[in-house]
Amino acid sequence: MTGTTKYAVFGRRNEGDDTLHLGTVSAHSDRLAKTYAYNTYDEEDWNYLAVVREEDLLEVEGGNVRREVPQ
Amino acid sequence: MSEWPAAAVDYVQAITDTKLVLGHRYAQWSLAGPSLEDDIGGSSAAQEEVGHVRQLFRKLESQGRDGDWLRGERDPEEFANASCLDAIDGDWTEYMATIAPVDRAAWYMLDAIDRDDMDGMITKMGEDEYFHLEYHDARLETLADENPEKLRSTLAETLPSALALIGPADVDDDADPLVDAGFTSQSVEGIRERFVDHYRELFADTDVSLEDVDWDAPDADAWDETRRRVGGGGVREEDLVQIRGERNAEFAIE
Repeated sequence: MTGTTKYAVFGRRNEGDDTLHLGTVSAHSDRLAKTYAYNTYDEEDWNYLAVVREEDLLEVEGGNVRREVPQ
Repeated sequence: MSEWPAAAVDYVQAITDTKLVLGHRYAQWSLAGPSLEDDIGGSSAAQEEVGHVRQLFRKLESQGRDGDWLRGERDPEEFANASCLDAIDGDWTEYMATIAPVDRAAWYMLDAIDRDDMDGMITKMGEDEYFHLEYHDARLETLADENPEKLRSTLAETLPSALALIGPADVDDDADPLVDAGFTSQSVEGIRERFVDHYRELFADTDVSLEDVDWDAPDADAWDETRRRVGGGGVREEDLVQIRGERNAEFAIE
């Protein structure tokens, strides 16, 4: 449990709303990250709040698709 | 509101005074944490404790306690806060190992109150306390890894103090006047068991030994049942000046 990990924080105001990326917290454990997120992003009464380790975020990568522009 | 037994007024007074001083300690340390997130957590807990105290003051005033006296117009020896909160002079590990057991003990005592006219208030406080206690435990876990010796030596002092706030071990279902009066649904013995089990489990797989903790504290013969502690002492005068808001009294809104 040494060193800190960066977590992305996500929240949703109401059920059915989009889940928004609120920001980040740095923490020594998942448990701590959840309490940090709760306290740091308490500007809303979130219907849903979650943290994800940044290392677990999967970037959607793709090559540059060549656009075929009709002449 | 119906009249409470005298012992119940003292019981709620001790919870309230503990929260009052606890809120003060949270605020004092809220810019001293090791990270911005810790500071935000401390500031947030300070605000919530002050909010709880406001609600509890109203309940105590309805039972005849004087408002000015409640808000600080009294001597340190008249405060019934957990003794380990009288002063926190050490480092951040000592601070965390002091406030965590006290906040948990005060919550367990509140949670044991079984009154319809306080149920909504206590449920709301419980929503706040869930995150206080989760934060404390998460932090104690990291400190157990980083600073086990300091944590051990501090807990050897603060856990018995928190147990004294809860009450002596011999106050079981048959001997607890508040259970007998229907004010609480869990005896002091039951609250103690819940508290002790929690910390034994939390530190079971860590390097923090709790062997030095006096789990039998307080000595029932030496226990002050009004202040819920053993021995004298109290918060310092400079803390009282802040708690009363003396230096800013001219800005008070009447």
